[in-house]
Amino acid sequence: MAQGPVPSPGKKTSGFRIGGYSSYLLLVPGLAIATIFMILPLAIMTVVSFYTTAPSSTGYLKIFTAQNYIDFFTAPNTPTLLLNTFSLALIAAVICFAFGFPLAYFLTFRIKNATFKNYVITLLIVPFLIDASIRTVAWIAILGRDGIVNYALLSLGAIHSPITALLFSRNTLYIIWLQTYIVFMEFPIYLAMNRIDPDLISAAKVLKAPPHRVLYDIVFKLSLPGIICGFVFVFVSTLGDYVTPNLWAGGVQTLGLSISRYSDNFLWPYASVLSTMLLIISVIVLFISFKVVDIRKLVYE
Amino acid sequence: MNGPFGLNTWSMLTLKVLESKNLTKWYGKEVLALNNISFEVDEGDFFVIIGPSGCGKSTLLKVIAGLLDYNAGELFIKGTDVKQIPPHKRDISMMLENYALFPHMSVFNNISFGLKMLGKDRSTFDKDVKDSLKLVGMEGYENRSPLELSGGQRQRVALARALVVNPGVLLLDEPLSHVDYRLQRKLMEELKLLHQRLGTTFILTTHVQEHGLSLAETLMVMNTGVIEQIGKPNEIYTRPQTVFAARFVGDINLFSGEVSGKQGGVYAVKTALGELKVAAAAGKDYTGHKLAYGVRPEAIVVGEEALKCENHVQAKGINSYYFGNAVECVFEMTGGVTMKATMAPEVAPTLMHDRAVLGWSARDSMLIEKPSVIEGLNIEEVIYGK
Amino acid sequence: MECTRMKLSDIGIRAYIAILILLIYTPIILMVVLSTNTSGRISFPYEGFTTKWYNGKPSGFEYGSYISAYYDWAFWIAFQNTVYVAFAAAIMTTIIVTTVAMTLRHRIFGRNALFYIILLGFLVPGVALGLGNNILFGIMNWQFTWWIAAMLDTVYAVPFGLILMMARFDPDLMLYERAASVLRASPLSVFRRITLPLIRWEVVSAAIFGFVLAWGELIRTSFVARGTGVISTYISTQLAINPITPKWYAVGTIITGISIIALVFMGFVLSRGQK
Repeated sequence: MAQGPVPSPGKKTSGFRIGGYSSYLLLVPGLAIATIFMILPLAIMTVVSFYTTAPSSTGYLKIFTAQNYIDFFTAPNTPTLLLNTFSLALIAAVICFAFGFPLAYFLTFRIKNATFKNYVITLLIVPFLIDASIRTVAWIAILGRDGIVNYALLSLGAIHSPITALLFSRNTLYIIWLQTYIVFMEFPIYLAMNRIDPDLISAAKVLKAPPHRVLYDIVFKLSLPGIICGFVFVFVSTLGDYVTPNLWAGGVQTLGLSISRYSDNFLWPYASVLSTMLLIISVIVLFISFKVVDIRKLVYE
Repeated sequence: MNGPFGLNTWSMLTLKVLESKNLTKWYGKEVLALNNISFEVDEGDFFVIIGPSGCGKSTLLKVIAGLLDYNAGELFIKGTDVKQIPPHKRDISMMLENYALFPHMSVFNNISFGLKMLGKDRSTFDKDVKDSLKLVGMEGYENRSPLELSGGQRQRVALARALVVNPGVLLLDEPLSHVDYRLQRKLMEELKLLHQRLGTTFILTTHVQEHGLSLAETLMVMNTGVIEQIGKPNEIYTRPQTVFAARFVGDINLFSGEVSGKQGGVYAVKTALGELKVAAAAGKDYTGHKLAYGVRPEAIVVGEEALKCENHVQAKGINSYYFGNAVECVFEMTGGVTMKATMAPEVAPTLMHDRAVLGWSARDSMLIEKPSVIEGLNIEEVIYGK
Repeated sequence: MECTRMKLSDIGIRAYIAILILLIYTPIILMVVLSTNTSGRISFPYEGFTTKWYNGKPSGFEYGSYISAYYDWAFWIAFQNTVYVAFAAAIMTTIIVTTVAMTLRHRIFGRNALFYIILLGFLVPGVALGLGNNILFGIMNWQFTWWIAAMLDTVYAVPFGLILMMARFDPDLMLYERAASVLRASPLSVFRRITLPLIRWEVVSAAIFGFVLAWGELIRTSFVARGTGVISTYISTQLAINPITPKWYAVGTIITGISIIALVFMGFVLSRGQK
């Protein structure tokens, strides 16, 4: 019996195609920009990290050397630097998760009104739009020497002179970062949760799952792509954020901060070294996270 | 009757596994999904709820399961008032309409989920899951992912998953809906066998009345939030209490009529077809009443035999539908009224557009007083549609 | 039923979220309030109401922190620049997100690699990109224009926008397109008449998203800004050299006000898009 070629079981027909090569044509703008403004700069930066620092028109000489890296790894404050940067970002991400997950859950399962949902989401984005510097400066009004917390404590007689340390601690960083990046955590989780078939929750309930198990075994596990996505977003964003620690960390040095300092002084090679380290940390984290969970589930099939 | 601790001692004593009293549920302020539903389910029964889409049967099932709350009334499962009891603490299990297999777990983990939640010992899982799979004919599928399975296979896994926890009541929401015809028959047989083997109480919903008739030991017909009739399938089929029930369960020819008189155990009813006879039941005298007159298609004979019946009419055949083992013929009478008759293929009139005589006995006809349990409906509107 | 227990956890969640909102918005509210404070520093208690930080006429000798918002011409230049950059970024983000989203739906060669490359734009720390670009421009001797700053913002916004758009795609979209092509529609017509109308709200949100991200972006832009810069760079440089006065709170209030208006609009658009 004559038959045409039968597609093998695993292969799906790809649906509508905008004609063979046109698909690739459409990708040109995206790929062009990605290459020129992302891949190229990063590549060059890595290369520059191997150049020698010298006073010249460009701030470096095109002589390959590993000296920069040696300096970096032997410098006494490097371990602290790396540790600080990494732990700050990690804890910030965890805190954002602690707030973002219940928020996403609430929006998905407890609010039925779509307009209300959108307004809440929009509400979360507002702090992000207020310029980065002002956002941090606004906290002076609360935690500063003459801020409201001190004012309240003084009037209540709890303390005798204002606490200046309030503002210059890691916790301020965490709060500011929470304020800024909560959206990035909440949104992917919300998207993932929205895709969960509500019948799965019903099924779990009739299969004798108490509410906390439903939360863990079903909701949490099925929104994991979104959680990891959000976690990575926040982690990477805080990793490179030098503005906030610049103003408030009270002495905590981060990689980002160092990079900006070296940059300001045109010490490109050393800045590049630090930057490359940052890049490596991010890539490792990304790699691990995406092994754990397939983010593509969030987006296709 | 509510005793101490919310226990209904009467239903405990009489082995009623489920008892519902005046159960009412609103969706928001507009939609009344369940309107004063009261019924009982005996232990070990195969209880089928049928009704058109939107009649509330899925809602009822979800209320029993505890997935939805109710506004008024009482619900007792095995004698206990379940108003405050969440689904995971009720002695029920459920197979949902779209199976809802957990996509991120293997078949084994799906099935053992309930056992895990109940805190059973891990070492027993293997055996229980195996037995469960065997029960539904899916041995060896433990390590597959639900995403690899066909619809029928998923359904069996969902069934196994629901059964493995040994529930007091098994709820099945439209299990036969998304399955093709061949598979439906097979599944019905298997469900019936399972029920006989396990003895668990089954409560099943479907909108296909043939399934209801075949599977049920007790059948309940629902219509927009109310119960039209409960009883044994053949009771409902031969003695429907409302026009709705008569229409929904099986096929029927219906006419509105007025009872003109009673003679020797037989009513004479004036209808559009002329005067028809129907056997009178003991009790109420319907003389003078406006009612619905009905006769099932299989009770009608055609040809010479028809002339011997108490009721016969002249008709012209307009269409016929061949079902292999039977033929359904549609006839038209004076006045444009149509009737359906089913008969063996050998007996069916071979020539359509031919005159024929239809006949049926008074004993095979029925009189139905109420259009529906729902108040305020006009009987003629229910019969002929608006 | 689940009434009592659910209610408790319900209250718990609501309280938790209320705390979150409080945490996020208290500084903002205080900022607005204090921007009208007569005191020259950020301090409590509130001394008196004044709008001098907004529109007080300069007497010619003030510098940075003491020029009122309205008269701070440098700020308004920065504002203008930000609007240009944000618009440019919005346009480019929309184009790229839409084209990429359209092609990524199909199983083309290198689909995964492509997805990850695009995703990198967001996942790579801003500092690294900023630095890299800075070096690149130095080598290439490219001039800085606002389009370039917009490009950086686009690279940043596209991944997030892409995920947003693709996660909200109607799974039947490809079916409709196929149906149309079977009915002899050319690919362009299919896009114009079938696809575009169906995804128009996602496209609009991508644009808005591109705009929003570019507006508040500081880290990457700080590496490529020149002159007065955009709002974010202007303020950060000013704050580095000036004391903090309510004037900056006034500026912040203005920016916040504009952002909220823009966002209410966005919320409106989003709610129209969801069924």
